[in-house]
Amino acid sequence: MKSKIEGRHVIALEVEDKPGVLTRISALFSRRGFNVESLTVGHTHQPGVSRFTIVVVGAEAELEQVRKQTQKLINVLKTFHVLDQEEASDLELTQGGAKNVQHAVMRELALVKVHYDKESARQINHIVERFSARMLHWSGEDLVLEFSGTEAKVDAVFEELKQVTVLESVRTGKVAMSIETK
Amino acid sequence: MSQSPKGHKEVMTGAKALVTLLEDRGVEVIFGYPGGANLPIYDELRNSSIQHILVRHEQGSVHMAEGYAKVKGRPGVCLATSGPGVTNLVTGLADALLDSIPVVALTGQIPRGMIGTDAFQEVDAFNITMPVTKHNELVKKESELVKAVDAAFYIANSGRKGPVLLDLPKDLLDEPYPYDLSETCSLPGYNPTTKGNIGQIKKALKAIEKAERPLLLVGAGVESAGAMSEINALIRKLQIPVVRTLMATGVLSFDDPLYLGMIGTHGNGLANRLVNKEADLILIAGAKLSNRSLLRADLFGKDAKLIQLDIDPAEIGKTIEIDIPIVGDVKETLRDMLLRIEDKPIRVGVTPWIHGEHQKTKTMLPKADAAEVMEWVCQELSKIDLKMHVTTDVGRHQMWANHHMTNPKHLPLITSGGLGTMGFGLPAAIGAWFADPQSPVVNLTGDGSFMMNMQEFIVAVEHHVPLTVIVFNDFRLGMIKELQDSSYGKRHIAHDFNKEVDFPLLAKAMGGEGRLVVRREEIAEALFEAIHSRRPNLICFDLERIHLRSAINLAEKAS
Ligand SMILES: Cc1ncc(C[n+]2csc(CCOP(=O)(O)OP(=O)(O)O)c2C)c(N)n1
Repeated sequence: MKSKIEGRHVIALEVEDKPGVLTRISALFSRRGFNVESLTVGHTHQPGVSRFTIVVVGAEAELEQVRKQTQKLINVLKTFHVLDQEEASDLELTQGGAKNVQHAVMRELALVKVHYDKESARQINHIVERFSARMLHWSGEDLVLEFSGTEAKVDAVFEELKQVTVLESVRTGKVAMSIETK
Repeated sequence: MSQSPKGHKEVMTGAKALVTLLEDRGVEVIFGYPGGANLPIYDELRNSSIQHILVRHEQGSVHMAEGYAKVKGRPGVCLATSGPGVTNLVTGLADALLDSIPVVALTGQIPRGMIGTDAFQEVDAFNITMPVTKHNELVKKESELVKAVDAAFYIANSGRKGPVLLDLPKDLLDEPYPYDLSETCSLPGYNPTTKGNIGQIKKALKAIEKAERPLLLVGAGVESAGAMSEINALIRKLQIPVVRTLMATGVLSFDDPLYLGMIGTHGNGLANRLVNKEADLILIAGAKLSNRSLLRADLFGKDAKLIQLDIDPAEIGKTIEIDIPIVGDVKETLRDMLLRIEDKPIRVGVTPWIHGEHQKTKTMLPKADAAEVMEWVCQELSKIDLKMHVTTDVGRHQMWANHHMTNPKHLPLITSGGLGTMGFGLPAAIGAWFADPQSPVVNLTGDGSFMMNMQEFIVAVEHHVPLTVIVFNDFRLGMIKELQDSSYGKRHIAHDFNKEVDFPLLAKAMGGEGRLVVRREEIAEALFEAIHSRRPNLICFDLERIHLRSAINLAEKAS
């Protein structure tokens, strides 16, 4: 019996790049009672093929149903339920080795605009060093930083950033790539 | 499909390209209603071999297309204009989606340059119809049109069938373009599985062989796959007892000893007991097992091994967990099963394990409010030994018809099961006749349902459809009262029609014939005459008066 407890799940989709495909997918998730926590979409190396990574909250028992319903959309090429490599070990137990579950590495990107002045300089430099941030733009007062990494790492970045003045920030949500596990 | 030479381009309007493509595919009839945005298509239909049937409300056009598709086994086609035209289609599209009926709906859209400006009769047809279609498309470029039409017919009629809508901007329809009508669609993401996995089939047969109390549950998917003869062959081979869902009338003759009734809320006690308690294996074929079929989802097949056969992988295990899933076309998979049994016979003739077959005709329907009269009418109708297509509407009468229409020549009933759309029956009957003009059509309806789409009666008159509408007049929304009786402590509201409608007069007003029946003795003769007249007509059975009179008669005879 699959778990009825709500949890977070990651679904990756390859879709034909057709008008309305984003609506079809998001409508389907909301209709079947799943809250979309993050959704990223972009082109792949194949012309006309886009890739979605969707993080949803819902019961695992219903997740397979949503995956199947998504697979039925005419413009959807492939669907996989992916497991974060880092979280895989405990999740695997509940999955019971389902066919459509794949291991994956996942990353997230964040852009953050901070107020940079004499007082905050030390703290910000420390954060940049510690999380290997890239400095993208400097206006004399504001500094735009780029962070990327696992969700846990980006969470940690945001924890640290509480000590400085953040003017704007944005996180992409996860993107996932499946991997072979031995 | 197209009869046009490959790669040949010819300059023509989008409307001309569309109508030529429909002709090439053998579309014989379109049910539609005009408006500004689809007039280019109408202009082309003037010179086409395709017959256009002018409905009186767009909802009627989808239900006609559904009735047509059910009988013909090919997609029915309907046509509406932008704005209110397409919003009027929504109920019918949802109906076709939930009952997996192949329909291609064409809608006009305002010109491309105006989309998004809240222009006159503009609605976002694409997004409005997305959740009520299997697939839909707004055709934005001339170069997409031919492929979109090909895809629409292919998607509607393959895999789990369903409605597909194409939204067609008026300027695209009006303007000339060098069309290559031989183009076909490529749908890399759409590969309906047709072959059931042989390993799973073997597993299923092994389980059936081991079972002591096996049962077959048949759903509408069996008929939709055209697998009636295969399922019958399997039943005979295995001598397996059979129950069905509401939608699967006509799988076995009612007096067949292996037939044990219908499951679900409106089913038979026996059938429900078998699936919930007694069977130790249930082979489920083409049934989606919605809440209405599962009287008790927590009990269904609780201690039984469950095998589910379905074309739609998302149906497997949707509402209950399945032990042996087989994804595939029901017809092909049943054939493979039968071949396998030929090769390696499995133990047939299970020991008859069912007791109480005599109970199989006992329904769970409440008899109150003169409901038995519907049984009498259905019994008399079943004696008419003609091939007919019979539709129902939604309400008490639908359930009574489901249990008491027993003549295989009248089955399967054409009925709205998934959406439960009142007003489905009359247009569906008309559509069915266009698919098979040799056979008379009958619509069993309630006074409430009839009034939802009664305007379509005129269409039957206009085209001389041998249609008999049977109105079971209880002067109320019978099923609503039934629900208020059973679940709301008999607190009644909004079910009584406080004004009596003269239904026969209505039929006459629209150019048909009408008759009121108030005595039981009249039932048989009225039905016989109406159906043999082969004219559009309506019989109104006054349930209360018939019931009362027959009770008085009985009392008089007794005294
Ligand atoms: C379009 C629509 N609206 C409302 C309902 C809810 N509903 C289900 S049965 C019913 C009553 C049907 O009355 P009638 O057609 O007279 O049939 P009866 O139950 O009396 O046989 C209603 C209102 C429905 N199924 N469809």
